[in-house]
Amino acid sequence: MEAGKYLTFTLAGEEYGVPVLRVREIIKMMDITEVPQVPPHVKGVLNLRGKVIPVVDLRLKFGFTKVDITSRTCIIVVEVALAASRVMMGVIVDHVSEVLNIVADEIAPTPEFGDRVCTDHIKGMAKVKGTVKILLDLDRVLGTDDAALSAA
Amino acid sequence: MTDNELAFLRDDPEMADLFLAEALDHLATIEAALLALDERPGDVTLLNDIFRPFHTIKGNAGALGVTSVQEVAHSVENLLDLARSGRRTMGPADVDVVLRAVDVLTSMIRDVGVRLSGQPGADLASVAQALIESVDMLISGEPEARLKPGTTDPKPDVAASARRGEENTAIKVDTRKLDSLVDAVGELIIVQSLIQEDPALANHVDQRLAGNLGQLKRITAGLQRSAMALRMVPIRQAFQKVSRIVRDLSRKADKSVELVLSGEDTELDRKVVEEITDPLMHMVRNSIDHAIEPAAARRAAGKRPQARIALSAYHQGGHIVIEIADDGKGLDTQKIKARAIERGLIAPGASPSADEINALIFEPGFSTAEKVTEISGRGVGMDVVRRNIDALRGRVEIATEQGKGTTFSIRLPLTLAVLDGLIVGVGRERFVMPTTGVRESLRPLPAHVHNVQGSPRVVQVRDSLLPLISLGELFGLPHEGDPCKATVVVIEDAGSQVGLIVDTLLGKQEVVIKSLGETFASVRGIAGGAILGDGRIGLILDAHGIVELERGVNRAAA
Repeated sequence: MEAGKYLTFTLAGEEYGVPVLRVREIIKMMDITEVPQVPPHVKGVLNLRGKVIPVVDLRLKFGFTKVDITSRTCIIVVEVALAASRVMMGVIVDHVSEVLNIVADEIAPTPEFGDRVCTDHIKGMAKVKGTVKILLDLDRVLGTDDAALSAA
Repeated sequence: MTDNELAFLRDDPEMADLFLAEALDHLATIEAALLALDERPGDVTLLNDIFRPFHTIKGNAGALGVTSVQEVAHSVENLLDLARSGRRTMGPADVDVVLRAVDVLTSMIRDVGVRLSGQPGADLASVAQALIESVDMLISGEPEARLKPGTTDPKPDVAASARRGEENTAIKVDTRKLDSLVDAVGELIIVQSLIQEDPALANHVDQRLAGNLGQLKRITAGLQRSAMALRMVPIRQAFQKVSRIVRDLSRKADKSVELVLSGEDTELDRKVVEEITDPLMHMVRNSIDHAIEPAAARRAAGKRPQARIALSAYHQGGHIVIEIADDGKGLDTQKIKARAIERGLIAPGASPSADEINALIFEPGFSTAEKVTEISGRGVGMDVVRRNIDALRGRVEIATEQGKGTTFSIRLPLTLAVLDGLIVGVGRERFVMPTTGVRESLRPLPAHVHNVQGSPRVVQVRDSLLPLISLGELFGLPHEGDPCKATVVVIEDAGSQVGLIVDTLLGKQEVVIKSLGETFASVRGIAGGAILGDGRIGLILDAHGIVELERGVNRAAA
């Protein structure tokens, strides 16, 4: 399990973390253009200084209920491996918390939850300062393995 | 080729890239010179132009340890050296072999690239060996009997070095760097227009600020033009491939064909040149095989025995037109019509115009050829040609006269990076419809809209009834349901027209096309995205995809 710096954020009260090296920037909620024929969690595309990047609502992706956009709602722009290339993608989260240095000792492998919880996209769980952060495998969540993206 | 040969290149990827790119460049130069040499055998300057790059390839390959490439280049060099020193004249057989060597070397060089990228390579050893043997046979079969005194001429080297001086004014740039520059300029243009149209500034009347903003606008527009021009290359490269095909095929089909080129220097987007090459080659192949009669038949018809194909390119109103004109037998409209009725492409009672009938040769699987030859006639091809041209947002037209010949005119946009679009609104979204596909737009009268099963499905435009597609319904967006309160944009796809219902027409704009990326590769009816004046993205519509999608929806509903 990779120790290192993680950007943590909140989603429906749960704490998640993504490797900070994969984060390009954090932007405020922006005007998103809807794209037809995609699943609901794919919100569409936005203009990031002239680049067209897809945006995924992580709440909907993980099956949480939809909530209204608040002043704390953010889009984290991350780099994801998709097919053979690396692409930028936006991820909508409730709010961004902090950058944490997580050491190897703090990371535990993902426990078995049984069939009811899919853990494929979880890299591990980190126990930091008494709370548990769920460390995400971005390529699994957003990249090639996300068959839902291509299914119309 | 063995992987051992690549050890050196593997250690130095930059050197490898340079070697591969240069070698391919040299091979293209050689091919062009060879085709010219075919017409002017014994031209020493041309011979030198062929010899020199071969020598360079040989030298580089040797230095980098790619011995199999070195060996092939070396054997050809032997042959060329004889010709260069006047001990041999390059006849058609020699040119043939050297052309083949160009092909073999091209595949070998590509193979090196494939292997370096970690994929398994092809086995070209036997091909290379066979080539070396045929070169050796040519050399030994022709002893030094044809000695021509006085043709050894050291002067061309002076001319050559002068030419090398000119070449130095050009530099090689990675296309990715070019693309990122064009991207950045696109962003600049958008920011510039955002500032220009900012309401805070519009209310602020200041002479100096207005002047400076005007200056900024002029400079950015100029910068955009220069950036776009960087991607432009002459169409020559595509024409050269056609020359090669004509030469090979006219031999194979035993028809003498003269190819006349004009406008090779006409510039267009590099991508367009790449994409148009295959369709051009295909159409010329078709002309030679189907349109051009054997010499005897031509003589009987009172024509020159040698056929003529003219390939030309020129600019016309922001577009480029490529014409392929042959003086063959022309399209047999009656025969095409009969075949079309047979295949159910024309309803028995219908009376289509000659142009409409001729356009049917672009239908999939359509062929009137009586025999399938090695060259063509399987009915695959012309539909692919049109699909390729459609993909480039171009149009193709046919003018034909029986007994006199056929001219295909391909109209293409100068660049794929920008397009002229009609901005339409549905709900709160805006879409860009490429104007090449738009025939007209109108607000229909209630009497002209006909419902089928409760929803508006057909609109009458003058004498014709067009199917209606509601963009809002198709994409699941909130929209105006009544076409008489909305706007109908008549679009054309593959020769047939449909009416697209949109809420509003917002204007015309030149937009920079951006790919939506692989994430949305399976989305149909959308060709990409464009950043509109206010910074939001508008999706670019793809007429063909929309029609297909609508058909799919209807089929699923039925």
